[in-house]
Amino acid sequence: MHIMEGFLPLYWCVLWYALSLPVVAYGAYKMNRIIKENRDLLPLLAVSGAFIFVLSSLKMPSVTGSCSHPTGTGIGAILFGPWITSVLSIIVLIFQAIFLAHGGLTTLGANTFSMGIVGPIVGYLVYKACMNRNVNLYLAVFLAALFADWFTYIVTSIQLALAFPAASGGVLASFEAFLGVFAITQVPLAIVEGAVSALLFKYIVQLRGDVLLKLNVASPDIIKKLQEASA
Amino acid sequence: MHDLLDDYAHSSALTKTSPRLKLLLGLGAMLLCVSSATPIAPIFIAVTMSLITIGIAKTPGRFYFTLLLIPLSFALLSSGVVAFMHGGGDQLFAVNLFGFLLEIREDGANLALLLIARTFGGMCSLFFIALTTPMMEIFSVLKSLGLPDFLVDLSMLMYRYIFVFIDQAALIHNAQVMRLGDAGIKNTLKSHAILSGVLFLRAWEQGERLIVAMDARCYDGRLSLVEPAARAKPRAIFAVMIYIIIVSAIAFLTKDIRLL
Repeated sequence: MHIMEGFLPLYWCVLWYALSLPVVAYGAYKMNRIIKENRDLLPLLAVSGAFIFVLSSLKMPSVTGSCSHPTGTGIGAILFGPWITSVLSIIVLIFQAIFLAHGGLTTLGANTFSMGIVGPIVGYLVYKACMNRNVNLYLAVFLAALFADWFTYIVTSIQLALAFPAASGGVLASFEAFLGVFAITQVPLAIVEGAVSALLFKYIVQLRGDVLLKLNVASPDIIKKLQEASA
Repeated sequence: MHDLLDDYAHSSALTKTSPRLKLLLGLGAMLLCVSSATPIAPIFIAVTMSLITIGIAKTPGRFYFTLLLIPLSFALLSSGVVAFMHGGGDQLFAVNLFGFLLEIREDGANLALLLIARTFGGMCSLFFIALTTPMMEIFSVLKSLGLPDFLVDLSMLMYRYIFVFIDQAALIHNAQVMRLGDAGIKNTLKSHAILSGVLFLRAWEQGERLIVAMDARCYDGRLSLVEPAARAKPRAIFAVMIYIIIVSAIAFLTKDIRLL
């Protein structure tokens, strides 16, 4: 969920930039090292970034009828890990602001923090936890995308609540109000995005399981078992 | 399928002016918007930026107004929350909803108005940048500001492939709609997943071919970028400075005025 341009006061914009940029810089540092080792990865990262952008610009079938866009960062985190996803996300967010007028430039720091850092980290942790417990791959992808979305939306609500605390009840009351208002679109949206992500993985496993192996997303045994199950 | 603002940037009347100056104007207006204490300066920015974008940059007016609807739902929902949660001052409006007393007080209403004005001022400044400055020029400015080469290359390749994939997504989507792939929630979900899945695989294969193509053309870890020749005219620089000074003056002089 994007915070629109102009909504956050100046000092909050600066603060969220200050929190996001070090993480993105670390991601860029890691990405640079990986690209130096294996130059083939730059074009693949670029097309993946473009894929995340296009995925997030597609309108999702939404239950509430509102126009809703997926974040796509959950999938990014599963495929590339959270650090690289943070770099891809900030670039995608700049494109979204300038191409589609979603989000903005002063709020870029805040949006990067919620959608490019917290969401992917949560998604990645959920995915890893599921894989360690031998949960079905598709269920793991579903849960990772779901929680990545939900945490993005929780963090956005916290950001809005911190900037505009309620007169009675302070930040907490304000947080609950933002959470409640945006729940109407964000809760079903996350479930739909989770389902779509899981189905997306099913197609990838069936058609190009080797891509997932190359990215070290799942072990060969799991991919093989899933391919046999669907064959 | 999507009106990308970048398409309009290439046909704008301001395409050939200095990108640095355009960025300076847009970003300056944005920063003044978020730091102003009353809605007056943001409203002034929203109106003047729209006039500049439609009048000087010659963006189609009808298209511009559809753009203004994008921030509307977010601005209204979020400002609504702020209006109800932010107390203090006289009560302006109250409604009893299922036993909860919801009321808007003066401070809340003022803050909500300020936020709506700031959002629109900021969005209009963003539209100005988006509708007059092609992405390639923004890259070259970023590069001259010292962004590492691999990040510039990554962004440029992404930029290139966004258009390729949007076309492919539109083709797949049309094919699905023609075969009634959007009949009912279950079919729509399935179609959407197939579309995303196919798109990912196409993207991946495109990427693998791109590696070969780039190697064949002696890619050495740096794509060369044509620097834009456009330099800012003194008159344009002067106009931008005057504009920013006027807006700052308005923001400063009106900082104590209360609307409600």
